[in-house]
Amino acid sequence: MKVSIGWLKELVDLKVSVEELVKLLPLRTIGAKEVTDQYIELDMKGYNRADLLSLRRVAKEIAVITNSEVKFTQKTPDFSKLYSISVEVENIQLCPVYCVAKIENLKIGQSDKTWKQKLNDSGIRTVNNVADITNLVMVEYGQPMHAFDAGKVTGNIGVRVAKKDEKITTLDGKVRNLTPEDLLITDDNGPIGIAGVMGGKDSGISEGTTSILLEAAIFDPVSIRKTSQKHGLYSEASKRFQHELAKTNLLEALAAAIKMYEDLGGKLTALTLVGDTKDKTKVITLSQEKVNSLIGVNITPQHLEDSLTKLGFTLASHIGSGNVIWEVTVPYWRQDCNIEEDLIEEVARMYGYEKIPAKPLTDNIPNMAEKPLFRYIQTLKQASSETGLTEVQTYSYYSTAVLENLLLDKDKLIKLVNPISAESEYLRDNLWPNLLEAVAKNIRNGIKDVAIFEIGKAYLIKDGLPDEPHRLAIALSNGSNNPIAELYQICQTFHLGGGLDRTPGEFFHPARSAILEKDGEEVGFIAEIHPRIVNKFGIEQRVAVLEIEITTLL
Amino acid sequence: MEQKISGIQNNYSEKIKQAGSLRELDEIFLALFGKAGELNLLPKEFGKLPEEARKKVGPLFNKVKQELEKGIEQRRNAVREQSYKKLEEEKFSLTPERWEAKKRQGHLHPVTQLEKEIVNLFGKLGFKQFEAPHIDSEEYNFELLNIPQGHPARDLWDTLYIDTHNIKATPGELLLRTHTSNAQIRIMKEFKPPIRMMIIDRCFRYENVDARHEHTLDQFEIVYIDKGISMANLQFLSEYFFKGILGEDIKARLRPKYYPFVEPGAGVDAECIFCKGKGCKICGEAGWMELAGAGMIHPQVLKNGGIDPNEYSGIAWGAGPERMAMLKYGVENIRSFKSGDLKFLEKF
Repeated sequence: MKVSIGWLKELVDLKVSVEELVKLLPLRTIGAKEVTDQYIELDMKGYNRADLLSLRRVAKEIAVITNSEVKFTQKTPDFSKLYSISVEVENIQLCPVYCVAKIENLKIGQSDKTWKQKLNDSGIRTVNNVADITNLVMVEYGQPMHAFDAGKVTGNIGVRVAKKDEKITTLDGKVRNLTPEDLLITDDNGPIGIAGVMGGKDSGISEGTTSILLEAAIFDPVSIRKTSQKHGLYSEASKRFQHELAKTNLLEALAAAIKMYEDLGGKLTALTLVGDTKDKTKVITLSQEKVNSLIGVNITPQHLEDSLTKLGFTLASHIGSGNVIWEVTVPYWRQDCNIEEDLIEEVARMYGYEKIPAKPLTDNIPNMAEKPLFRYIQTLKQASSETGLTEVQTYSYYSTAVLENLLLDKDKLIKLVNPISAESEYLRDNLWPNLLEAVAKNIRNGIKDVAIFEIGKAYLIKDGLPDEPHRLAIALSNGSNNPIAELYQICQTFHLGGGLDRTPGEFFHPARSAILEKDGEEVGFIAEIHPRIVNKFGIEQRVAVLEIEITTLL
Repeated sequence: MEQKISGIQNNYSEKIKQAGSLRELDEIFLALFGKAGELNLLPKEFGKLPEEARKKVGPLFNKVKQELEKGIEQRRNAVREQSYKKLEEEKFSLTPERWEAKKRQGHLHPVTQLEKEIVNLFGKLGFKQFEAPHIDSEEYNFELLNIPQGHPARDLWDTLYIDTHNIKATPGELLLRTHTSNAQIRIMKEFKPPIRMMIIDRCFRYENVDARHEHTLDQFEIVYIDKGISMANLQFLSEYFFKGILGEDIKARLRPKYYPFVEPGAGVDAECIFCKGKGCKICGEAGWMELAGAGMIHPQVLKNGGIDPNEYSGIAWGAGPERMAMLKYGVENIRSFKSGDLKFLEKF
């Protein structure tokens, strides 16, 4: 959310400088992603406070944390005595509220300088006066709107899910294939928009538009999120629809938009409201004891009441055995507050997280067992480095070079559905190929003696399910024609013995390859990598490796 | 000119055929394509030719050049294959020979060194290590942590999913864990409070890599559950971490932050270790750096783990050891850690 500084000052009589505000915001409310002379961009990624996607609510929040006053008042508009437009909503779960207003006598033109500046600061492109109003209202109230050209809409408006194989050309000119997961706005001829995501091209406003159907609705957040993900359509509108929007706010936004169209000379001629337009009132019980025990600070009831009241909560208290209990009514715009802990966070941030003193942990140290594996890995790493090996960490994936040079059977590897690139598409089922790649890289880099190890997981398919054993792998290339002789000495540090009966397989030297044993149990192998494979990595030196299953050593 | 070109071709084709070692082939390659190589110098003479002749010579030259290159490569492979056959005659014995192992200076990976410090530091407070799978379910990585499907909070984690064509699982069910928090519910189910556990292990994100971002990175996380735990303990643990790892004088500061599995949630800032709070280029003039995320474990998450939130409260606290190691050891590029580059690793 880009908060236009100029516009913000129109809404709140700011008692502190913008610099002070920028310092205070992350301590009380939310971090800023970017600050310029024109705007403060709030870091909304993944955030749950939909109210902060509305400039009015941001202004209110800022007023509270800076002890300033907002310059606007709120009143719920009355939309009774009007003609109606026929609207049919198929599933009230997917579209709890649908409002549409017909406004005639409009003339498309350019927006004035102030509007353009406001939209520009907010990071939104200006289109024309009629479209710009929908965006200005969306930014100020947090309620997205859409304007259809009334002349291009035939008959009744419907809200329904798409039929199989239905298509629509969206405003950006692209043909979208729809599925029954997508929610549509329709007229008698078919789809005129994808609900909450993007309008249709055919019903869009253009130079010649004189009357519009202005839509303000609330859709199911999960449905909107799915549709916008599926079509790769992320808009300022879909961003807001992904949260639960408040109905009271919708009515205020609609009234504000209508007023702006009227100021342009437009005339409201019809209006329909479908659904229950009253927000549910949420009441949460809050206990003083719980507040103090979770924050770890004694906060006076007075301070608590002041903080929450300023934020728009209403409180009724009763006292029971020295502990104050409040019944707290959540303001309609705070859909994110659902449980007592949510309120405690409000109290804590108004108090100031940074003022909470440190309290040491108690001596109540639990007697819990730790798997010996962790200590063992630490010991193994220490021992390996003491024998002169350097620890490397490689990716959990096989690079394309490893896959191609080893001609690995990809079907035996665990694969990702959505890899970042071909270099991280398949998970490694051994560590040594990645060590070989690292050895080659260092040799090509001018280092002729390479002795490295890695401790990490291999990813296997065992009985059809993923299995991720911990492994130790060592790679040695010492410039000799028989590096395994030295590697075997190193591995005796770990008290491992070897047997000779091993079929080397295609990756290894036909003679130099053996199973490693400990107390008669197979724990891994030691081998020289076949020069044919080594050569493919662009090096001529001999390379020996070993790989051991760590848990078998325990 | 055409004669000259075919002359070179015949001459060298024969030499390539005769070559019996890689070194001979390298010499031939240099004689052709090196700085003073015959084929390298030849095109300089083309300019003197009439246009008609040039049109003929050009394609012929390219053809010969390619054929010779290919010829050398094929001969190289043939020579190699011959040498590979000799491998079977090579000796192999695991009975220790009179072999002196080289004396090398080994090195632990810098992230390992830092993680060892962290584990020892929290071990002193009674925290024990725990592990959870890298390949995990939607349920443990998201749903039980109060992050349902379709929730905007999912945007916080760009997730890599496992292809189930060769695995017994429903498509979309398995993923590479995005955080060590997939251990939380397992810890709660395995132990009864009081609980002091820590996880330090690899996580995966769908992230484009640059000097500051990695798709594969470690996380350190503690799970602390007991009666009467508060945000004041959270402040203590944050200070304890920064003082112990970054320096005695490094302060910690909590800020409100949203994570769906904690409430209240906190971002944890450390005082900038470079300017000590004055504001510098590295901390973006803020004087503070966000280094950890934490909070009081969400009551729903406690319930999902079988713990009564009316009786117990808990803290989850997490940070990235790589980022910490970058600050502490002055590493500028996060990619260095997984580069396998000994010139980098031997500095530690």
